[in-house]
This record gives sequence, C-alpha cells and structure tokens, in this order.
Amino acid sequence: MSEESPNVDIDRRSFVKLAGAATATASLAGCGSSGDGEGDAEATSTPESDGETAADTEATDESSGESEDSGEFPVTITQGQMPDTLDPHDHRNIPADIVMRQCYEGVISRNRQGQIVEMLATEWRRIEPGRVRFSIREGPTFQQTENQLTPEDVAYTVNRMVKENVGFTSPQAGQLGGVTGAEVVDGERAVDVLSDGLNPIVFAEFAIYCDVVERAWTQDNDSSYVAQNMNGTGPFQLAEYEQNVQVTFDRYEDYWREPAAVSQLTFRSAQQSSARVNQVIAGETDIIVNVPPQSVGRLNESDSVSVNAVGSTRIIYNGMRANADPFSSQSFRQAMNFAVDLDSIITDVLQEFGEQTGQPTLQPFFGYNDEVEPYAHDPAEAERLVEESGHAGVSITLHTPVGRYLKDLQIAQAVAGMIDDLSNVSCEVKQRDFNTLASELTDGDITTGPKFYLIGWGNATFDASQTINPTLTSDGVLTSFQSDQLDSLITEANQAVETEQREQLLQQANAFSHEQAPWIFLNRQFGVYGSTNRVDWQPRNDERIDAYSISPAE
Amino acid sequence: MGYSRFLLKRAGQGILVIWGVVTVVFALRYITPGSPVTFIAPLDASQALKQEIAIEYGLNRPIYVQYIDYVIGLLPPNIDMGQSFAAGTSVSSQVFAALPRSLELAVAATLVAVMLSIPLGVISATNRHEPTDYAATTFSLMGISTPNFWLGLMLTLLLAVQFNIFPTGGMARVGGTPLLFTDAVGSLVSGRPQLMITWLSHIILPAVTLGTYFTALVTRLTRSGMLDELGKTYITALRAKGIPETLVRFRHALKNTLVPIVTVLGLQLGTLIGGAVITLRVFSWPGLRSVLIDAINARQWVILQGCLVVVGAGFVIVNTVVDALYAYLNPEVTV
Repeated sequence: MSEESPNVDIDRRSFVKLAGAATATASLAGCGSSGDGEGDAEATSTPESDGETAADTEATDESSGESEDSGEFPVTITQGQMPDTLDPHDHRNIPADIVMRQCYEGVISRNRQGQIVEMLATEWRRIEPGRVRFSIREGPTFQQTENQLTPEDVAYTVNRMVKENVGFTSPQAGQLGGVTGAEVVDGERAVDVLSDGLNPIVFAEFAIYCDVVERAWTQDNDSSYVAQNMNGTGPFQLAEYEQNVQVTFDRYEDYWREPAAVSQLTFRSAQQSSARVNQVIAGETDIIVNVPPQSVGRLNESDSVSVNAVGSTRIIYNGMRANADPFSSQSFRQAMNFAVDLDSIITDVLQEFGEQTGQPTLQPFFGYNDEVEPYAHDPAEAERLVEESGHAGVSITLHTPVGRYLKDLQIAQAVAGMIDDLSNVSCEVKQRDFNTLASELTDGDITTGPKFYLIGWGNATFDASQTINPTLTSDGVLTSFQSDQLDSLITEANQAVETEQREQLLQQANAFSHEQAPWIFLNRQFGVYGSTNRVDWQPRNDERIDAYSISPAE
Repeated sequence: MGYSRFLLKRAGQGILVIWGVVTVVFALRYITPGSPVTFIAPLDASQALKQEIAIEYGLNRPIYVQYIDYVIGLLPPNIDMGQSFAAGTSVSSQVFAALPRSLELAVAATLVAVMLSIPLGVISATNRHEPTDYAATTFSLMGISTPNFWLGLMLTLLLAVQFNIFPTGGMARVGGTPLLFTDAVGSLVSGRPQLMITWLSHIILPAVTLGTYFTALVTRLTRSGMLDELGKTYITALRAKGIPETLVRFRHALKNTLVPIVTVLGLQLGTLIGGAVITLRVFSWPGLRSVLIDAINARQWVILQGCLVVVGAGFVIVNTVVDALYAYLNPEVTV
C-alpha cells in the first residue's frame, strides 16, 4: 500500500438534491441494495416520499468524493467475499454489488441519507400508471469503448434484466418487481419503463438496481467475456480481475463528474474476520467490513484505525409459522416476544451493535410506525399468555443459521435460553446450514419449512412494503403468516396513488403485525467497519461502500 | 514384476480412483438436500425462473446424460470441467489458476518439514537420552499438539501485526498480478532479488505454520526409524569394518529409514494441496482450498467437482511418484 502523496489540493464538491421517491425490493440474507448517490446535479426528495416526480426538489449539500488534483491516493478495501462474476446483472449479493457499483451506475441512486438522487438520469417522472420516464444524461462515456451513453443502452439494460428473450436470465429480475420492459422515447433523450399496474415503488427499485451496460459491447461479446470484464460509466475502470480473490480499479479520468480522489482502488478478500482485523491494524488495507464485536477493542487500541458502526437495512427476527401449533396461537406468539429480553441481547450479545425492533419495518423506512414500541421483557406475562394459549408444557426448536448474520447463533441461543427459562415452555436451538434453511423457507410452500427459525431480511428500498410483502403476506416468498387483513392492507398500499394514504396503510400494517406477533422481533443488524485514519470515509446504512466518496484524511 | 510394469499398474489404479472420485462426487450432488437450481436461483425466485435456469444450465436433462457429458468433458486434452453457474466462466481455468498457488505452498511447507525434521530426527536418534534428544522430542510433541490455525494466528499477531516483519497474509503480488515462485526465480536470475524477497516474505509464515505439524511428525518418524536401523546387525558390521560413523548414519541407516518417511511426505503433500482450510483462511491464501470452500458455501457443484477431481488426481500422481521412489529405495515392493 503506498502512502498518500503530499501537497494534495483537495477540491470539495458539493452536490445533491433530493427528489421524491422511495422504496422497493428486498432480499433475504445479503441481497438487495441501493446504489449510492452523490451527484453534482439535481436530485430529488426524501425516503419517505413515493417518488412520483423529481419536481419536489430540495437541495442538500452533501460532501463526498473530495479528490486530489494530482498525486496518488490508492485505497484498499477488504471484504469477506468477492464477486465470482463481473456481470452486473448476474449476482444477488451485496459484496458483489459493492464492487460493481464502483464501475457501473444506475439511472438513479441513493445518497448516504437514503434519499434518491440522480445518476445517469437527470429527471424521472410518472407518465401514467404503469409507465415512468427517465430523461437520460448527456456526457457519460463507457470506459472500455469510450462510446457515449445512449437511451438505447438504458432500455437494453432494463430489458436484459427483466425479459426472457435476451439470451440471459438475470437473478435480479425480481428486484425490478412489476417492471415488464423498457423502450426508447421517440424524439426525446429518454426511456420509458413499463410496469404491470401502478408499481408505486418503481423509482425505489431503480435506485438500487439497474447498473447500465453498453448495449453493443454486451451483445458483441460472449457471456464469459462480460463476466470477466467491465465497461461502465462509473468513477473507476477495471484494471485487473482475479476471480474470487481481487479486483483492482484505476480512476476513470474521463468520468462525467469530477474524477475520484482515489487513484487506485483494490478490493480484496479475507474470509476470516481475524485476518481482516490484522490487515487493517498492520496498515495493509484501508477499510474492512464485518468487524466482529469481540475485535472492536483491538481496533480501538490501535492509533491508526477507527471503528465505524451504522445501522443497516437488515432486520433479524424469529419467524413463527402461524399455521402450525403452538405458533398458530396469537397468545403464544406474543408470549414468545414477552419472554425475550431484547435489551440484554443488544447489550450482552451484540455489545451495543444493534437496535431493538418491535415491528417489521426499520425506523428510517417509509411506513414505519413510531407509535409501536418493542415488546417489553415480562416473563410473568409470557407464562400467563402461554397458559392462555393452551400450549403449556410444549417443547419448541429454534432453527438458526451459523455465521450468516452478526452473532446469529449467539442470539438464537440467548432467545432459546430465555424461552426455556419460562416454567411452561422448553426450547432448544438447532444449527442449520444457511442455504438449506433458506431453500426450505423460500420454496413457496408454507407447510414445509421449520416452525420456528432465525433469519434476517435486508430491505435497501427503505419501504415497509418490501419487508412485509415478502415475509408476512399470504403469497410472500418467505412468509410465515397468513392474514386477510394484512394482505388487504398491503394490496391497498401498493395501489395507493397518494403518498400520505400509502404511508398510513403501511403504518397500520406495521401496528397490526406488532399486535399479531408473527415474529419475535429482534434487532436491527449493524454494519461494523474498521478503517485506517488515512482515509476520510463514512459507512452507509445500505451496506454499500461508495469509493467515490473516499478522500484523504486531513 | 518389472519396474515399468509396476508403474503402469499403479497408474492404471490411479485412473480408476479418479473415475471413482468423479462418480461419487457427481452422485453426491443429487443426494444432498436441495436441487442445484435452488442454489443457483435467488432466494425469492419464482418457480418459472427456476425452470428457466434449469433449462439454461441443462439441469433438466436426465442425470445419466449429465454424467456422461461430464466424464467425456474431463478427458484430455480439453479437460473441460464445465461452466461455473454463477460466473458462466470455465471451471477448468478457475481451478488450474488456483492449483499452482496451492502447489507452491504445499511444496514450501513440505520443504520446511523435510529440512527441519530429518536433521532433527537424526540428531535425536544419535544422541539418545541426551539433552538434544529431549529438546527434539519436546519440540516434536509441541508441534504435533499445537493446532495449526492457532499457531498461524499467533505467528501473524507477533511477526506481522506486532513487529511488521512479514505481511499478515495473501499472496505476493506485483501490481495486481500474483507473484509465483517461477516469477520470483526468474527475477532473481535477472538480477532483481527484490521479487524473490517479496515472494519469500509472503510464503514463510503460512509454510512454517503448515509445515510445523509435519516437521514434528517426521522428526518422530525419523528418530524411531533411525533407532531401529542403528540397532541392526548390518550397522554393527559396517562399524566393525571401520566405515566412518557419518557414512554409517547417513548413507546406510538414513537411507533405509527414508522408505516410510517418503510415504508420509507424499501423503502430506497431497493433503496440503486440498486441506488445511482453516489455517489457510487465517492467511487468506487464495489457493485451491479457498476455491473449494467457496464452492461448497455457494453450492457451486460444478466447481466443487472440478476441485475434487484435481485434488484426487493430485493425490494419485503424488502417490504414484512416491510408489516409484519407494520401489527405487526398496526394489522388493515390485515383486
């Protein structure tokens, strides 16, 4: 790792504006994302709005991407995992997405605050139900071919992701839920995106997915070439790629915004958390992800390293299959919530790297109900409710993945211990392979999965519907619950044109979910990072790392 | 049986073993819970999408057709192990890119073991019940009983984090390109020792960590073998004839002791190519084993099969070479 050069002349950019929109797409287990969005141009509203138009703009000064006019400022980032493909539409995990987004850009994105901002589109608006229009920016060029970005490239990108007749099946098709295709608008530098029905979260979906590729380059090269090369419009261009091991980028000097401050960007992989911690303490890397709580003390003791923690968009919960005894009883499900001492889990297990939850939606999300509090720890009430449910004396087993989420096994053991402490329920933990557990939970058949399990759901769309819809509605891919009332609230919310009405419906859905207690509401997962003091960088709650925003520390 | 015929027989057996490995691994793919499609598709994929993926990757074909295609693909000279589900890239290129990294570390660890263990074992045997013997025995016991990954962590903390003598892990690189032993030797020959120093600085800690257990094991083996040989009558006869003690020990006793040691070293080399997963994760060494573990975690069966075939073939080749050496050292085995 080379040293930052002296005499750097830092040029501070201002940017951003914020426009209206929010929401969509989620994913279990490390999927789902949002881009990032620092732009030097017009942007749009807040995460609470529905993204109908870019007109309700509110300018916000967000600093990032301070760059050096000269000199070298190489930065290395170490993740636990590396992409096994560089095709931006052929993956569904955050570590891969972090790497992709240094090179590829979406039409819109999100800034650190979660607000939707412009990227390759300068304006976006709803033309009619099922049709939204993106005005495409002039100027961005593709790094490898140096060709200008065109609306045809954007339309091709959308179609490549959602259509079947493009010779490629994208695992991200579901991330643009409801989107059926895109077409170039005659006579305008714009693209219309078409959806089934209203699709109120379409802008939120595009703020996360849709890394724009060049049509000709993608079509002219075979899939293997596209999987091992990159040709985006972003601030970094691919220099070297070693599958699953390392990706190296150089700064793209012809970037449509100011070139990045980082001159060379390297992503490395170290699966062992102790190896990552050692690397950052030894100064071999600048940023590491997923610092285990027990290593935080070591990092804090180092003069050259800082620990950064931020609440992520992932909620950790214990699903209870409401069609199976004893979880078919609302009283029993509530009892399980009263049995768990969340405060103790946050303090003792997660060492404060977590927040209590009491509803499916996390606090900054659209539709969050701030009148709903987490369940109190009340073992006496829990025992009473168990008696009331008629399931006293029951034995239950909590299935949990190991090592998938921060302290997942330890959380499960704590929960099981607390339930087991009740005089009328016994509980034990069963460790499961994540992929097997996940495939049981997502096979579309509510009767096949375990009755009681720990899982996490990440929702980078900042919209309540994209947590409740997949996890709690009758048709949800990961559902453990069936309720006509909840289904109808979500259906109405998805059809609501008015933002306020939609928000109220989602808040009602959250209050109803709390009352019904389909889950033991556990914690919001925190992202914990270590970074050397030579870089000026702040983590984001959508788990993305925006290298464009990294600058030399002053 | 002649020497050549012996080797041919061993090679034939090896091919059968590889075929067995291929078949078992292929069968396991269908015995393990969860269809391969489930692991390729996103968690919230619809049944229609899963169907498309099955068609795209040919997973909807009868199993025997997939098996035959796979085995035919493996035949030289192409050695096509299929395409990675995730990346759509050639598994063969991925596996063969990782193989040299594993090989050079395995060889380095074995060299560490050989260079330390044989002299230690000889010294220990020839100084029985003396302080040097006790010291060597204590070292062996410690080496055998210390978990490798713990030793790796401790060496890293001390020599990399605390004293900054070595890097904490990863392969040596020039720019972003991995620096292999052959590159380092090339640069040394052309008068640029810096690359060799860089290469050595990266490989020493993992090689010592991996080699320590085997050093201890082979030291014990050498000691007991030497003690056996030194107690035999032919050694007494050699000494009676006035042969110098150094020749007695190294030319006669040690040579006969080497037969079981060579066998153990051969097996060790094979183990190191595909094993020591936790230890190598401590050093973030990007070899075959990390590809293997990534493939297991991601249920990338095609890559997993490729790795296992290569590891299996590696074992067979190493053991065939060991058998050849064994037969050279002890011609009786060819009979």
